[in-house]
Amino acid sequence: MEEFITACPRNCYSTCTFRVRVDCNRISAILPFSGNRATPAGPCIKGLSYIERTHSEKRIINPLRKSTDGSFERISLGLALEIIADKLTYFRQEYGPHSILWYKGSGMSGLTNDIGSEFWKAFGGATTTYGNLCWPAGLEAVRLTLGSVKHNVPWDLVNAKTIILWGKNPAETNIQEIAFISDAREKGCKVICIDPLRTPTADKADFLYSPVPGTDAALALAVARVLIDKDMIDKDFIGKHVSGFEEFRSSLTITPAIAASITGIPEDDIISLASMIGSVKPVTIIPGYGLQRHLNGGQTVRSILALAIITGNIGKEGAGFNYANLQSYIYDDPKEPLCYYPDQKKDAPFRRTISMARLGADMLNATDPVLKAAWIERGNPLLQSPDSFNVRTAFKQLEFRVVVDQFMTDTAREADIILPAKDIFEQSDIIGSYWSPYVQFKPKILDPPGEVIPETEIYYRLSGKVGMSTIGSDKIPPPGNENIEKWLEKRIEGYSFLSLDDLRNGPVLAPGLQQIAYSDLKFETGSGRIELLSNEAEYKWGAARLPEYVPLPETDKYPLVLLTPNAANRIHSQFGNLDIINDSTPGPALHISQTDARTRRISDGTRIRVFNDHGEIVSTACISARIPAGVVVLHNGIWLEEGGGGNMLIAGRETDMGHGAAFHDNRVDVKPADRK
Amino acid sequence: MRKGFIFNAGKCVKCTSCSAACRLYNGWEVNPRNIYTYNEKVLPDIPLVNVSLACNHCEDPACMNGCPSGAFFRDNESGAVLIDQERCLGCRYCLWNCPYDAPKFDEKKKIIVKCNLCHSLNNGSLPACSTACPTGALSYGELKGSGEIGWFPRGTLDPAISFIGNTAPVALKVSPPGLFSREDGSILKVDIKPEWSLVLFSFFAMMSVATQVASFFRGIFPGNALFIQIALAAIISFFHLGRPFKAIKSLKNIRHSPLSREILFFLLFSILSLTATVMQSAGFAIAALVSGLILLVVIDSVYARPGRKILLHSGQTFLSGLLLVSYFTNSLLPLTFMVLVKTILTARQLILSEFRGTASGARFVRGAVLLICWAGLISGFARPGFAVTLIIVSSEFVDRILFYIDFEPENIRRNIANNINTINNEKKRG
Repeated sequence: MEEFITACPRNCYSTCTFRVRVDCNRISAILPFSGNRATPAGPCIKGLSYIERTHSEKRIINPLRKSTDGSFERISLGLALEIIADKLTYFRQEYGPHSILWYKGSGMSGLTNDIGSEFWKAFGGATTTYGNLCWPAGLEAVRLTLGSVKHNVPWDLVNAKTIILWGKNPAETNIQEIAFISDAREKGCKVICIDPLRTPTADKADFLYSPVPGTDAALALAVARVLIDKDMIDKDFIGKHVSGFEEFRSSLTITPAIAASITGIPEDDIISLASMIGSVKPVTIIPGYGLQRHLNGGQTVRSILALAIITGNIGKEGAGFNYANLQSYIYDDPKEPLCYYPDQKKDAPFRRTISMARLGADMLNATDPVLKAAWIERGNPLLQSPDSFNVRTAFKQLEFRVVVDQFMTDTAREADIILPAKDIFEQSDIIGSYWSPYVQFKPKILDPPGEVIPETEIYYRLSGKVGMSTIGSDKIPPPGNENIEKWLEKRIEGYSFLSLDDLRNGPVLAPGLQQIAYSDLKFETGSGRIELLSNEAEYKWGAARLPEYVPLPETDKYPLVLLTPNAANRIHSQFGNLDIINDSTPGPALHISQTDARTRRISDGTRIRVFNDHGEIVSTACISARIPAGVVVLHNGIWLEEGGGGNMLIAGRETDMGHGAAFHDNRVDVKPADRK
Repeated sequence: MRKGFIFNAGKCVKCTSCSAACRLYNGWEVNPRNIYTYNEKVLPDIPLVNVSLACNHCEDPACMNGCPSGAFFRDNESGAVLIDQERCLGCRYCLWNCPYDAPKFDEKKKIIVKCNLCHSLNNGSLPACSTACPTGALSYGELKGSGEIGWFPRGTLDPAISFIGNTAPVALKVSPPGLFSREDGSILKVDIKPEWSLVLFSFFAMMSVATQVASFFRGIFPGNALFIQIALAAIISFFHLGRPFKAIKSLKNIRHSPLSREILFFLLFSILSLTATVMQSAGFAIAALVSGLILLVVIDSVYARPGRKILLHSGQTFLSGLLLVSYFTNSLLPLTFMVLVKTILTARQLILSEFRGTASGARFVRGAVLLICWAGLISGFARPGFAVTLIIVSSEFVDRILFYIDFEPENIRRNIANNINTINNEKKRG
């Protein structure tokens, strides 16, 4: 038996370090690694489930080809690559490289993912996506205001006197943060949740303020007004470090009374919320990503961030605005969110880009050339993209589809060729985190099963077949994990104090880390100050220069707001197919308030139709006291075989800034399935 | 220092890593570790608390004391209460005795599975559940702190568990008020369904004792009815066991286990009464009478241990036995006394259940039937005969079923339900 230190590379805040025991090429135990101060007690149940996931019988371990009858047949890796190479060469020749869509999701992070783009560059280009489904509106909001996106180390949270979880639900999406919140609370810290839902995180809080979805900016700006009116602001901090405060102050037209009518939160409660924020220091505001998945998402985040700024809760212990901490993303060039924008990419010329948020429509509308083929890796766009009906239609209209995945996802089912993907233990890689400040090494500790080869090797072998045999090993390393590690070593060469050997012993704090973000009070904005007023917001995004509340488009056709947050114990559509997860997690359902269920004669467990103009899905009702009237929740990532997620009912629209996807601005109605 | 589980409810979000780890590391189908949620329905104005529990390896373990085969034992090194699965009969008495639901019945293997502190796997390291907890809510080590959770059953068991952190959180304050309100008139109930095999065993055992005793007073030896009743009771109890062919081991804990004593006296009574009948011996008949009455007391004690509230119930076998004996011997004075006792107890149960539910209806009808029969017999309108006997015996059988419905072994789930019900009732009133 051998024991290794590794880290979880999923699209998750925590990026847990853990110890893994290997017996005869099998994972025998997953154990905590206390050397990571952000995740000292180890990974969540998803991390534990690697013991099943890695060796799951459901894993695809051989290349598969779709037969004419729609079923999949096993073919050899050689044949699969041969077929793919022929098709790629054909489409490149007939229609140009832009007739091929290269789509990559967030299924597994790591530096080696960059190797794919080297392939497509050398191939002559491809159509790729711009934007991101997750978080870019908020990232851009923070970048516009503070110049960069970072926050204090997670363990600094215990120094906070007030913690505001504004739309974040760490109990289900960042479990380790609960430990710090709990420790802070033991020391007398007040915990305030602001969320349209009563999440399990609220069970750990003192207060829950529950605004109408999408009205958070109105609440924040009313609070800002009270703070200024009652002189609960840090004038010294504002004077030294903030630009645009006077303009901001005079723009605050939303009084608590007006905000009450918009948000549903009584005027007095808004005033007392402001008092809690303004009277005790330090305050840490932790926004979630759901609140910026609205058409007004970027402006919402700017409005909330303004509260941290005017109260001087920036650059201090126990304070801050914890949207994302990109300090461990040392290799990114350009850094997020800039890397999402079509015009900022170094490699822009070789690509044609289409919107991630409007994937279906953009795929269908692509001309010159029309899209003919798609290569999907680390993603499941047929389930996870908004407007998924059109995504599916566009996918079906293609002539050739390659999906690289570990499991038979809803996207893989529509592939012509499925290439089996590596699991996290089957190739060395280096990962960062958007919450904890560590750079981590993830060693190869298992030989992959069947004919699984890492994507890097897929690209290497294909490059020889599509006329790229001269591509250098610095671009696409040859097969063998030792070559990958050499390539990784080269990537970190620039950091003399960071070697692969250091990383092998466990997580390393990111070079240049500020444990207390902005403690130097330097801001990488144009003015070098915090920009409450941002000209860039206007010229880049056409948004107001100041934070403002932009009401969502009114619609009364369907009465219920559909929210699709992440499900507990899953990461988007990952992990939901594992017994370890399903044995102890309630199954998928449409969560509905008692009020809305009663008026529709729906009881717990009723089969129901959820529908709007985009489509319809069938689900099971779960009457929940966590849901307010007027809102229904269908967690994202529910596989079609489980009934499907909400994306069938969601329009493909971009957020106000950052090219994000406005998932949460859709309305539906619900009826018992047996009633039309 | 004594070791045990240390739990901080403030950090538990019911992610279920602990129970998954337990299952994974031990390769069990059933899960000895569960997370109990106080206020699972997320009712407003009541805090929501999760507690992860497996076995608390009590100083005075109810499972071990009650086990008829002595299958539980303490590991001296770790202090763990362990089960010798070879000795387990699958009688499931420990499920009633343990208020923490720590023993779990494996339906496939028909034996009890419980937390073993992962001792056999971990060799000195920590239990898998405690290392798997990602928030540090659950840990294992030297017990510390004296936090108490109001609804956590402690009794005299002295469980090896400490609660740290905030054990009495206040309810979340919500704005706008009432947004997450939920009307919920339902009374939370933890059902421990009457096990028909036990209803039947105890009923036939009672009937056979009553038959034997009544026959003695009437100066006759009972006939086939007695044999049939004893045989039915024996067969039913035998096959009730998860592992019937280990039944003989049920006599291994006579000193501590009421269940062992129940089996012992059942065997004793059966042998004595059969011998008395076969040999037509008055001496054996007296011995059978004595052992039979003791048997009824012992049967009742089996239930009185885990469920103290059941100490006085009209469906107890001792009371039913005496009533039937007075009926069978046509002794109107004792019958009147027994009817009075049973009527008072039935009325008490009706009041306790606040006249709610189908059980209350059955209770009322049964009480009325008994009184009508008694009135008929006293006034001479009815005579002892097949019809009246059938009515009275059936009515006693119904009472036995009601006994099982009212039987409430102390249990954490029930404590939670009762606690929430009380709060809800108070809210309604005030």
